[in-house]
Amino acid sequence: MTPQSVDPKLLEILVCPVTKGPLTYDREAQELISKGARLAFPVRDGIPIMLVDEARQLDS
Amino acid sequence: MTVFNRHTVSRHRDRAAAGLLDHDFLFTEVGERLADRLDDVKRTFPVALDLGCRTGILGRLLNGRGGIETLVQSDLSAAMVTRAGGVSVVADEEYLPYGEASFDLVLSNLTLHWINDLPGTLAQVRRSLKPDSLFLAAMLGGDTLVELRQMLYAAETELDGGLSPRVSPFADVRDLGNLLTRAGFMLPVADTETITVSYPHPMRLMDDLRGMGESNAQIHSRKGFTRRTVLMAAAERYIETFGDSDGRIPATFQVVYLTAWSP
Repeated sequence: MTPQSVDPKLLEILVCPVTKGPLTYDREAQELISKGARLAFPVRDGIPIMLVDEARQLDS
Repeated sequence: MTVFNRHTVSRHRDRAAAGLLDHDFLFTEVGERLADRLDDVKRTFPVALDLGCRTGILGRLLNGRGGIETLVQSDLSAAMVTRAGGVSVVADEEYLPYGEASFDLVLSNLTLHWINDLPGTLAQVRRSLKPDSLFLAAMLGGDTLVELRQMLYAAETELDGGLSPRVSPFADVRDLGNLLTRAGFMLPVADTETITVSYPHPMRLMDDLRGMGESNAQIHSRKGFTRRTVLMAAAERYIETFGDSDGRIPATFQVVYLTAWSP
């Protein structure tokens, strides 16, 4: 079963809650990546979890 | 200033999500009034945000009214958001994840009273709005639960000889118009409405607040929870002071409605 994707209209308006910079959608990993904040926000059942506490820290 | 523990706010909402249908009276009531106010605005709002959507109560009431084509529903609590359906996001109202000029309308039904940095959130809301777009919100005001507050203070003073904040503080309505202006909004209007709910017993009011996910979430609550003896004494006083001939007690909810436009 392919994971549920983020609504395309939502993808257009979502930004990083920390930097307000752009996000990249990694469909494979179901993550929204903020390069600026070095954070990966999880997507669960098509719902982006835009909380810093829930985000994965990216290696620099 | 940090008054509210946002993790506690989130936890209270998570716990309340599954049973919210039994405790959604106030949210539905105020949601209907917000929908009515939206109907009065002769405009269409294709892309809208419901900030603090809980289980999607406002979205179901609106059901496409106001010319809404896309309603983004967001809440701090994942348990709430998963029940909302539609286009939904888990987001912290203090750190909004929306780009500039994204929305034609931002709605919020009884959520803003849990925010520490209200000026910060309002400024972020304003930036997320397109030019000449509407912000329409309802939040709980300073007279909310005035009876419960008085009775808890009285009981605690008597039993413990001291006070600790048991009921969350609320913003003063006079400040809110100014806050909107400082956040860069135009034509801000703040008006209030008092809704009095009758309960068979003060403990049922407390149960209802818990069921709504609206229990106290202040950082400086003295012991994290109110002692049973204090609660019982407060309940007794509540009935003595405010009870009617049938033994029912009133609980006041002051709702502040905010309307403002982005420049």
